[in-house]
Amino acid sequence: MSSDVVARQKGVKVLLHGAWRQFAGGAKEVALEATTLREALEGLTERYPSLKERLRDEHGKLRPHLALFVNDEDARLLGWEDAALKDGDILHVIPALSGG
Amino acid sequence: MTKSAMLLVGTKKGLYTMRSSDRKKWTVDGPHAAPAPIHHASFDPREQSMYAAINSTWGGSRIEYSRDLGKTWLTSKNPAFPEGSDRTFYQTWHIEPGHAKTPNVVWAGTEPAALWKSEDRGETWTLNQALDDQPSRKEWVPGFGGMGLHSIAIDAADPNTMQVGISVGGVYTTTDGGKSWARDNAQTGGPEDRPDVFGCIHKLLAHPNVSGVRFMRVHLEVYWRDPGETTWTYRTTGLPTKFGFAAAIHPHDAKTAWCIPLHDMKRTAIEPGIAVFKTTDRGATWTRHAAGLPQGAALESLREGMDNDDFDDVGVYFGTANGDVYSSLDEGKSWERIAQYLPYVVSVHAATLQ
Repeated sequence: MSSDVVARQKGVKVLLHGAWRQFAGGAKEVALEATTLREALEGLTERYPSLKERLRDEHGKLRPHLALFVNDEDARLLGWEDAALKDGDILHVIPALSGG
Repeated sequence: MTKSAMLLVGTKKGLYTMRSSDRKKWTVDGPHAAPAPIHHASFDPREQSMYAAINSTWGGSRIEYSRDLGKTWLTSKNPAFPEGSDRTFYQTWHIEPGHAKTPNVVWAGTEPAALWKSEDRGETWTLNQALDDQPSRKEWVPGFGGMGLHSIAIDAADPNTMQVGISVGGVYTTTDGGKSWARDNAQTGGPEDRPDVFGCIHKLLAHPNVSGVRFMRVHLEVYWRDPGETTWTYRTTGLPTKFGFAAAIHPHDAKTAWCIPLHDMKRTAIEPGIAVFKTTDRGATWTRHAAGLPQGAALESLREGMDNDDFDDVGVYFGTANGDVYSSLDEGKSWERIAQYLPYVVSVHAATLQ
């Protein structure tokens, strides 16, 4: 296995979709270390503080109209913020279908 | 000094900015922040900042401010209820630049109903605890559109004296800059079965240049207050319906105001179509004006839907739910459509640039 492949599989990749890119100054992809979805979101807001109030209300609750997927799985089915992450996982941060 | 006009038009799909040097030909820019609904946007004449209440589903509601007349926008730190509160900031209903004597101060009203003060030109917001601690807060209830604080009426002469209007919570007055508040709902000449105005305040305006003058649009009532008075004088007689939202007060004549009556159940204009009603005698009498407005149109204009500029020959403006904006350059006698096909217009704020 090449060192490039090892490097790519290290850590978690967070992909920001739609409006979430705008809230992070245009960032599309963030690589970070995390073992749970909660840790990944903490790492994300450390990297992009502007996301903090967009992801959570003043009491720390994740906002509605936010969809989170781990690879192809809806994070709600994986324990939501407690969902386990491993090296190579991709966390998708998606604006939930809403509005009209 | 040459003046120009700018309208901040909040819609259900973003903020539009209309500009004109002669108030006849207008350019329209936008939308900013679409598809978020813009409940209200305002301009601070003291130092040319713009503020927008962006009530988004994605990422939650936020307040943005611009220091370059809308070219770029920055996001405020959100209004935040204190730790342990059972309430969560949901959305902003109104943003009011502070008095000329209080530089850097900006006020905001939100849902859940609360008053917020910024002392750094809208970058951060602090809850007004004294209003929040009112024992009567437990009596506040939501109206059809939610439970919000939407009117912040700062006295022309005294920045420490102001009223706030809450749906449905009535009027509160402070005379010490918000350190303490008193309920201020006593009415004169209105319904005999109750001593107070109906608590569903729709719009409360302070005259911008004459201390003590107020004009208030309540759910099924209109009231006036003159300097020195401590009650609200019923001035609904002469209007075709008691209901309505949009209201404006003449900046150079403390006896003149406008409002747009609506059907109390349908929430749209009654037959024979939308019209602006004007008083020149503190609401004692009202005159219907519809020249230039579409005949028979059951249009609707909301709480923040009407405003006026500060030209010597004042311009009056209102927006409608079907995406039109109308202008009058003869103090409301005749009207011209200056924008159409916008999204549902929620708010119109008129700024005078010089």
